[in-house]
Amino acid sequence: MKKLVSALLAGVMCASLLTACGGSSSNTPDAGGAASSGAGTESSQGGSSMIHIGIKADLTSLDPHNHNDTISAYATRHIYNNLVKLTPDNTFVGNLAESWEFKDDVTVEFTLKEGIKFHNGETLTAEDVKFSLERQKESPKVGHLVSMIDSVEVVDDTHFIIHMNTPSNALISSLNHSGCAIFCKSYVEGLDAEGKTLESAPMGCGPYKFEDWTPGASFTLVKFDDYFDPETAAKNDGLVFKVIPEESARTIALETGELDMVIALNTTDANRIRDNAELALDECDSTHVEYLALNVQKAPLDNKLVRQALNYAIKKDDIVIAAIDGEGDPFHNYIGKAAIGYYDTAVNYEYNPQKAKELLAEAGYADGFTINCYLATEIRARIATIIQANLAEIGVTMNIEQMESSTFYEKTGNGEHDTCLTGWVANAEPDNTYRPLFWSENVGAGGNRSFYQNPDVDDLINDAAKNTDPAAVQKDYESILATVSDDAIWVPLFTKKELVARNKDVQGFTISAIGMHDFYGVHY
Amino acid sequence: MSTEKTKKRSMAAEIWQRLLRNKMAMLGLAILAILALLAIFADVIADYDTMVVAQNIPERLQGPSAAHWFGTDEFGRDIFARIIHGGRVSLVVGLISVSVSLLAGGSLGAFAGFYGGRVDNVIMRVMDIFLAVPSILLAITIVAALGTNLVNVMLAIGVSGIPTFARIVRAAVMGVKDQEFVESARAIGETNTAIIFREILPNCMAPIIVQSTLSVASAILSTASLSFIGLGVQPPDPEWGAMLSSGRNFLRDAMHITLFPGLAIVVTILALNLLGDGLRDALDPRLKQ
Amino acid sequence: MHKYVMKRLLMLIPVILGVSFLVFFIMSLAPGDTARMILGDDAPIEAVEALREELGLNDPVMVRYAHYMLDLLHGDLGTSYKSSRPVFSEIAARFPATFRLSFWGMMFAVVLSIPIGIISATRQYSIADSVSMVLALLGVATPNFWLGLMLIIAFSLNLRWFPSGGAEGWKSLVLPVITLGTGCMANITRTTRSSMLEVIRQDYIRTAKAKGVSHRKVINKHALKNALIPVVTVIGLQFGALLGGAVLTEAVFAWPGLGTYLVNSIKAKDTPAVLGCVIIFSICFSIVNLCVDLLYAYIDPRIKSKYK
Repeated sequence: MKKLVSALLAGVMCASLLTACGGSSSNTPDAGGAASSGAGTESSQGGSSMIHIGIKADLTSLDPHNHNDTISAYATRHIYNNLVKLTPDNTFVGNLAESWEFKDDVTVEFTLKEGIKFHNGETLTAEDVKFSLERQKESPKVGHLVSMIDSVEVVDDTHFIIHMNTPSNALISSLNHSGCAIFCKSYVEGLDAEGKTLESAPMGCGPYKFEDWTPGASFTLVKFDDYFDPETAAKNDGLVFKVIPEESARTIALETGELDMVIALNTTDANRIRDNAELALDECDSTHVEYLALNVQKAPLDNKLVRQALNYAIKKDDIVIAAIDGEGDPFHNYIGKAAIGYYDTAVNYEYNPQKAKELLAEAGYADGFTINCYLATEIRARIATIIQANLAEIGVTMNIEQMESSTFYEKTGNGEHDTCLTGWVANAEPDNTYRPLFWSENVGAGGNRSFYQNPDVDDLINDAAKNTDPAAVQKDYESILATVSDDAIWVPLFTKKELVARNKDVQGFTISAIGMHDFYGVHY
Repeated sequence: MSTEKTKKRSMAAEIWQRLLRNKMAMLGLAILAILALLAIFADVIADYDTMVVAQNIPERLQGPSAAHWFGTDEFGRDIFARIIHGGRVSLVVGLISVSVSLLAGGSLGAFAGFYGGRVDNVIMRVMDIFLAVPSILLAITIVAALGTNLVNVMLAIGVSGIPTFARIVRAAVMGVKDQEFVESARAIGETNTAIIFREILPNCMAPIIVQSTLSVASAILSTASLSFIGLGVQPPDPEWGAMLSSGRNFLRDAMHITLFPGLAIVVTILALNLLGDGLRDALDPRLKQ
Repeated sequence: MHKYVMKRLLMLIPVILGVSFLVFFIMSLAPGDTARMILGDDAPIEAVEALREELGLNDPVMVRYAHYMLDLLHGDLGTSYKSSRPVFSEIAARFPATFRLSFWGMMFAVVLSIPIGIISATRQYSIADSVSMVLALLGVATPNFWLGLMLIIAFSLNLRWFPSGGAEGWKSLVLPVITLGTGCMANITRTTRSSMLEVIRQDYIRTAKAKGVSHRKVINKHALKNALIPVVTVIGLQFGALLGGAVLTEAVFAWPGLGTYLVNSIKAKDTPAVLGCVIIFSICFSIVNLCVDLLYAYIDPRIKSKYK
């Protein structure tokens, strides 16, 4: 059958070739690159060690102060460096910074490593740091990350002091964010004077130099030879990120050898990679949680018993299979397992429809009720379809309402929903998870889509953000998780594995639980 | 007045007679009738609660078998039952939305082609404007302004097809409006509207019929993308376009998920095409003998 | 004739005005907060408010429209909310790829479907006619993503003849061109067939045949030309639609065209980007339609006399 189809298509092909190649040599200037067309297929065997990486979408900006998305960060995090970096065991160590010391709650003194070179040959100084952080504070896109910084005081070329306007535990983790990249002051000022932007010529002191960007297609970075840190220096000649929006096509490009790696692999293809002797699959727990947010301000979900009943009624095992092909685990906590700030204090409601019915009867809803569920993506439509069937068994009717994501954010921001399906990927700073999700002031568009307002939880969040005693911070977070899970403001559903597929000969890759993969160590 | 009526009736009867003699057209009509009957009696053939929406995760993505003629989908639901029930939505949406485009676009195009000059220019430039508005944007706006129900789905698809039909009908009308029979109709004092609808349009049905029948397929397919933005059918209700696109991720492992709804659409437009071809022959005044 | 062309080109101005007005207000009606879409869930409310202020989103719709139109008058398509880059350069980077794919997709469809349509018409109800009809119907009912992935599996994965995606060199064109072209073929084939049938039956063809002009000559010279008007119309419509971007095909073949850019911009409520695309589309459609109208005149001299 397969052969027949291939043969049939081959016939059509021959006819089409006549038209396709007949004209392209004469009419299309781009067709001059015909020689390069086969290049992709050889990338894995060829002499050059460029690493081709498949990604889902294009970057939005090459200026770290002008974006806040993962894909753009793949480019900027390799071009620029930060003061600190996160290790795989979730601790922060110096990157451009040699060391730092808290002088008091609001004053931190940093020492820079010596002799770090930018791509243009200039040496990094504390003035560059001051310039970068002050420029960042002006940015509407990433300025809020450094809102706790009051001023940066330059002591000498390698020493500076950050003065904060309030005590904050988030300073160091924020400095690891791609938005807190360090620029070369004289270079950026030079561009500004010429009326140019960083977009066309980004330049930092990272392990890679910017090579080129074809919007919608690919962007290329090449190795920076004078990089200061041998440990994180590029072990390949460069990185080519190729945009392939269709999930299956991305996997196929890896199978044909056009790509060396695929990040955020489609869960449907995971077993195909495992079964392929030429390929390998890296996987780890991620900091992602997928959940059904229950709007606690709307009847009957304002009743805690009803919310707990829903928690008992949903069969998470089925959801993991139908929505993400089993590439994850059923989950009961409110923050991803691999995240900083995860503690195992959440209540676990095991699947028990009988118990759910009893709770509904106790709450006075023995005959059930009707609620809506807002959602925005195809995978979530699949999740909702299972939940809908589960709830039907305890007499609850759930109407699924799919919408465009901008509509979803607006409607759920306004609290028009009874329930909505959404997810959260925790980054390296727990406050960036707890505050949007559970803080009273963030109800709605701020991220708290359960519209949950609890003054006790607010106090705990505020304390955890400022308290300098790590044991006290841990206690705060533990009790937040216990409280919100007992109040059952969500039905946590599952956590999805982070999946990266690669050619089996690709070595030196370390998978990141928050999806912020580094590729400098990758090589054949 | 009464002779008018009998004349009309006899014309319709004659067209019907000619259609009856066309075997392929009758085959098309028979297929359509079967599809319609399947949709009408869907509940008798496959129970909605136990077959169409009932999930069975352990049996998901299974190929065709005696128990599930068309296999099962990603939730282990029976695809055959879902296609039978999905026909209710897909056939109605396909036919009605194309009728909307045809009636509105066709009339505009006919007037533009017939009158020419300024009328033509104004109508067709407005069509150019509408042609440039992306249909997904139009659909989002319709959801926002009018809410979501099946009528609005047909409206969204129908409206975005108007410029296409306008251009096709206009071209067809321009091609025949200077022929002798138009002149003679004008000579006996028929009004312009009568000339357009009674003399010109029956003589340029060919491209219109082709466009209409093929548009039904695209209308059914586009229902799926509208479902994703909340316009129209929502889970767990079945509909052919959505069934087809939900199989997208499983194409390499379970091709039957996309194959059968695709075939349902093909059979539908095949029937419409056969009927359409026959209808065109029956309407052709030159073949009256 | 020149005057007619000039007049039609001048009509571009009201069309662009109409399109921009319509789409601007549609975008302002559509739900969603641009600033929130850009910043994401985890940004604090103050940051969203600040970005909204910077982008000028707090101004009344009329004020924003006036600003936009003022810039447009100076030939400036504005700056994308999402990327902060000029919309013109973003579109200019993607349009050539879109045009290349549309052009070859259309060529593929036209070159194959017109002969097939003619054969079907001259041998009505033959096997060849039935086969071509079934293929055409399959073509129109097959979603592009399905055909595209099947072609990739057959020719990239199994046979390794063509790259699975990208836009480098002619090889990368082949599969997306077939995918796009197949959908268009169906319509053109069927239209050619039915118009040919219509014309073949007309008196003057019978006359020509009776006069002893060869069958082939009758078909090629007389019948085809008169059947062309609906065919040209359909080709024009299809080509216009392709220039508007083929989202599914672009996604499957990682083709860096305008379709994906437009859909992403609509999702992000990036009004300047959406407007930029739509204005470019309206210019494309208008020019294609003008060409089609001029072709009518070339085909049928009676129509030509009306273009003054």
